[in-house]
Amino acid sequence: MKLLECPVNGVRPLSEFTYGGEYRDMPDPDTCSDKEWAAYVHYRAGAPGLKKEWWYHGPSGTWFIAERNTLTDKVSRTYIAGQEESK
Amino acid sequence: MTSRIAKKRGEWINRDKPLTFEYEGQQVQGYEGDTISSALWANGIRVLGRSFKYHRARGLLSFANHDVNALMTDGEDTNIRADVWPVSNGMQLAAVNTEGGVLKDKNKYIDHLSPFLPVGFYYKTFYKPKRLFPFWEDKIRKAAGLGKVNFNYPRIIKPKRYAHCDVLIIGAGAAGLSAAINAAAEGFNVILVDENRQAGGSLSYDHAGEQAAADTLNTLLEAVEAEKNIRLITDAYAGGYYGDHLVPIVEKSGITKVRAQTVIVAAGVFEQPPVFRYNDLPGVMLGSATQRLVHRYAVKPFDKGVVVTANDHGYRTALDLASVGTEVVAVIDMRADGASQELTQKVKDKGIAVHKGSCIYEAVPTKGKLGVKEVVVCPYNETTAEADTSRSVRLVCDGVAMSAGWAPAGALLYQAGTKMRYDNDLEQFVPGELPEGVFAAGKVNGVFDLKARLQDGRRAAGEAMNYLGKAVSVDTVKPVSMARPSHPYPIVNHPKGKNFVDFDEDIQVKDFINAAKEGFDNIELMKRFTTVGMGPSQGKHSNMNAIRILARIRQLPVEKIGTTTARPFFHPTPIGHLGGRGFHPHRYTAMHQWHVDNGGEMMDAGIWLRPAFYAPQGSGLTASEAVQQETLAVRNAVGMIDGSTLGKIEVFGPDAAAFLERFYTGKFVDQKVGGSRIAMLLDEAGVMVDDGVAVRMADEQFYVSTNSSNAATVYREMQRNVQLWGMQVTLVNLTGAMAAMTVAGPESRSVVATLTDIDVSAEAMPDGAFRSGQVAGVDARVMRVSFVADLAFEIHVPYKAGLHVWKSLIEAGQSAGIRPFGTDAQRLLRLEMGHHLVSHDTDGLTNPFEAHSDSLVKMDKPFFIGKRSLQILAKKPLGKKLTTFVLEPGFNGELPQECNLVIDAGNNITGRVTSISFSRHLNRHIGFAFVPPEQSSAGSGFQIRTDSGAMVAATACEAPFFHLLESKGE
Amino acid sequence: MQDAVLMSPVAFAHALRKPVSGEVNGMETALSFAAADVEATRNETLSICDVSNLNRFGVKGPQSAAWLQAAGVTLPEGTNSWTPQDNGSLVMRLGNSEFLVEDQPENSLCQTLNDTAVETAGVHKVIRNDAAFIVSGKLTSALFSEVCEIDLEGGALEDNRLVMTVIAGVSATMLKQSLNNQPVYRIWCDGTFGPYLWKTLLGIIEEQGGGPVGFNFYYEIN
Repeated sequence: MKLLECPVNGVRPLSEFTYGGEYRDMPDPDTCSDKEWAAYVHYRAGAPGLKKEWWYHGPSGTWFIAERNTLTDKVSRTYIAGQEESK
Repeated sequence: MTSRIAKKRGEWINRDKPLTFEYEGQQVQGYEGDTISSALWANGIRVLGRSFKYHRARGLLSFANHDVNALMTDGEDTNIRADVWPVSNGMQLAAVNTEGGVLKDKNKYIDHLSPFLPVGFYYKTFYKPKRLFPFWEDKIRKAAGLGKVNFNYPRIIKPKRYAHCDVLIIGAGAAGLSAAINAAAEGFNVILVDENRQAGGSLSYDHAGEQAAADTLNTLLEAVEAEKNIRLITDAYAGGYYGDHLVPIVEKSGITKVRAQTVIVAAGVFEQPPVFRYNDLPGVMLGSATQRLVHRYAVKPFDKGVVVTANDHGYRTALDLASVGTEVVAVIDMRADGASQELTQKVKDKGIAVHKGSCIYEAVPTKGKLGVKEVVVCPYNETTAEADTSRSVRLVCDGVAMSAGWAPAGALLYQAGTKMRYDNDLEQFVPGELPEGVFAAGKVNGVFDLKARLQDGRRAAGEAMNYLGKAVSVDTVKPVSMARPSHPYPIVNHPKGKNFVDFDEDIQVKDFINAAKEGFDNIELMKRFTTVGMGPSQGKHSNMNAIRILARIRQLPVEKIGTTTARPFFHPTPIGHLGGRGFHPHRYTAMHQWHVDNGGEMMDAGIWLRPAFYAPQGSGLTASEAVQQETLAVRNAVGMIDGSTLGKIEVFGPDAAAFLERFYTGKFVDQKVGGSRIAMLLDEAGVMVDDGVAVRMADEQFYVSTNSSNAATVYREMQRNVQLWGMQVTLVNLTGAMAAMTVAGPESRSVVATLTDIDVSAEAMPDGAFRSGQVAGVDARVMRVSFVADLAFEIHVPYKAGLHVWKSLIEAGQSAGIRPFGTDAQRLLRLEMGHHLVSHDTDGLTNPFEAHSDSLVKMDKPFFIGKRSLQILAKKPLGKKLTTFVLEPGFNGELPQECNLVIDAGNNITGRVTSISFSRHLNRHIGFAFVPPEQSSAGSGFQIRTDSGAMVAATACEAPFFHLLESKGE
Repeated sequence: MQDAVLMSPVAFAHALRKPVSGEVNGMETALSFAAADVEATRNETLSICDVSNLNRFGVKGPQSAAWLQAAGVTLPEGTNSWTPQDNGSLVMRLGNSEFLVEDQPENSLCQTLNDTAVETAGVHKVIRNDAAFIVSGKLTSALFSEVCEIDLEGGALEDNRLVMTVIAGVSATMLKQSLNNQPVYRIWCDGTFGPYLWKTLLGIIEEQGGGPVGFNFYYEIN
């Protein structure tokens, strides 16, 4: 069982967390093409590498972003979305 | 006949506590502290089991928890490992893999068939003719597996514990003890685990007839004892390595998952047998096994034995054997050069002959192959692995000690991701590149000299402490020049075979050659074809020789062959341990006890317990009768359901309304305080996720409900989007904090009115209205709803007052005939009302256009989740539509079930039933189904195929269904 | 104040053990499960007590800290920490901008705060329904090693820190305090999980030779 660091509650076992999918920037729905939108909604890049992921610490109800290398399973940093700089 | 010898220093048996047990019907004496095998061996009992495949008699091999041919049953447990399991008074034991007793096993004839049972025999033989396979399958299944499962085994809940430490050290031998003492001395919290009953590793048995090792061990154990930072766990094994240093420690009582900051593997090595004909006879065992017998259990392994060796350990074994009065006839050294002059002389001084460059060509069995009569010794050619039989000598003996080399106990290192390399000087795999925070010390690290092992433990502890951020100096361990511990090819060919490589599965040298000939010449393929290493010992005494044989067949260096994958668990672990105590949380509403007391049939509804219906004791109500009665009570008078499981979320803040407009499909900015609106949630693909109700309690306060099953996910998604969108919103999840109940039916208003100060009249409180006030003296939130009936009130109160309000309403409703109703009746009631249930009547692909929910989707808003996808979907023709339907009046055929398919005239699947029920109120079968859009308008007919294949006619009709009553003129 | 008898979330889970019950803060509560000396022996080994009836006040929102301070409440300094008030009431900071206040039986801070209307933006009262337990005894570590994955003894709860973690599969808030000169662990969880958590913890506690103690064990109420 891996450990993960919640930016608010510290290092906890993975069993306290829920995975929230990859963080991806949404294209502007007003200007993007149908094809671009469909790709955003339905396609996922499966190739291993450094990914930004949503994680949720259940006991405290904290969402945050983890930057994880899916090849090595190493998390390089975690932060609350939008507070990236403060970390 | 007893082989028990005089008291040994440090022996593990307690001579003050003799005990008696039974083995195969024979009374056996032992002492507390004996294992089954040691007690049997002390009593001259040599046949401890039968091999898995050929049913050959077997005795001791490793004496280290890997003797899988000596498995016992006590009638309750099976496959008890006799080499390590402690004896107890009155035990009644029998060997597992026999028919008619271990000595006279009726299946021993199979040994004579062995030439006709080559490797791969089963794969190739029994698949044709096909009609005979069931017959053979039955035979093979009976022969497969060891022991009999006891289906009456008592249920014992074993704890699963968590523990934490700075340094976890696996193996309490010289290196592990040294590492523990050094790390603890610097203030680190150490857990030291060893699979033996006592710490010490080889220090507790590999003495070479001297006292020095025992002295060293005493010093180390005293230091460990004195160190409060060390928690020593013996009789337990580290089962595996998991991410971020989580190691399950398996004890007899259960599993402890240790989360360590760093791990030192000092697990030692497994002794490896040389391979020669009849190396499996009872009395032929590893050198370390004879030493364990001598020093731990004070049992003489045999009276007159030989040692066959390919390293110096054989000489040490010979000295230990000689020290307890075993007549050691000879040390047979497979190395052309033999041992050092000094060591050779020590052995010779005991009157033991030394045959350099020799091997055992074969062991000669006694009658019935139950023991060793003599060995045939020949000169050995290390290059060709051939014995020169022209110059053979026969040595009479009753036992053989074997020492050909070692294989690292590196399973956890492999699992942690260590890259192992093959050391050509040691002829052993050793850690090449270790993962972060994992260290190796001692023999598993290729360090064999005792002093060097102690140093290596200190070195590993130093590196571990540096890793933990403590600057301590780390000495490098100077290599000690010594004889090679392992032989590169300790295998002796024999034309008649029976030179066993794997004792678990009776695999001989020729099996590997045949497997390679058939093309299975990769180690992983060879493993699966020959089954080497697939028995209960998982190759701990066979994989290394198998790799050496394959390397020679393919003429490649051992490193190029590689090893098979070492997966957790390292050692067979009982299912009861893995299961252990599990946690299955349930949520209870405030009214739970009332439901139970009043006949509520409590069912799992997600994580909640809810009454499906009420059948009070003595009422004689069947489930379906109870559901129909509850439904009719709501239609004709009044009923009440516990709706506390609804998700309830408060949304506060200046952006609350704007947030809901982005989150849900509807509009909330212009919503009036005191009104409610449907809150439908889509995902980004435009699929319906949830539908709830949003009440505006104040300008900056909404009270939103969600479906029971979606409470947690909707709240979570709200939290995520508040963060993502950066809005000024505060969310509070009140799902548990508020009890809720719905009073429904024509009399519901009069019942509620008696208990509240809120004006609930039709004029003051139209459908959808929300009011705050008091109900039964409690602050309550009350809403006019119409999900289960045209007239209904949903009442929310704080949890701790829930039971009080519920009871008050039941009491107030007595005269009106109030009945509590459960989830089954609720399903039927909403179906009569024509309300679909999201994720019951819809699925993971259903969009609002397909479920008659267009009006809830405000496409003129600038943004909401799923809007962009709906814009795309809106341009495409609909593939299906959810419709309400009825069956023919008086239908009494086979009732279609949920998920039965809608079939068109061409026998194509065009839809499916999502809900169906008989309504006594309507006297009709009614339901929801997905059908092609052209069949969804009222009056269209379609056919449903039942489980048995019968076709049932259904007709789409308008919802709610109550018009059916009018058309009947009621 | 209404005359309704409120229910402890775990009241029905208690019923099997036939406690002496009474009303505290308007809530039906188990006052004692056994004779005082029996409870004292249990407590020495390992015991659990239901204190759900203590009055609580919850508040959340970006301005809640300032609002509480203005109301004269002493706040814990950092996130996930707690501090006692002079009168013994506990103030817990859950994360950063949410607070939970819990009174001793004789205090009325929560009542006062509940009665205070919130006029400030960014301050939102939170309706609470906690199940609350006190666990103490010399075998607490044996209990927590079975139900909690994190290391509660490695300083996680020292220096008035509180921890939001999972206990026996349920999200819970924990802290360690000294009560009646005895170190005790406090556990809060959603009341709907209360009966489950009570039964689960009590099952393990009894395996370890401990048992339940009533509210009177810690608080002098008659």
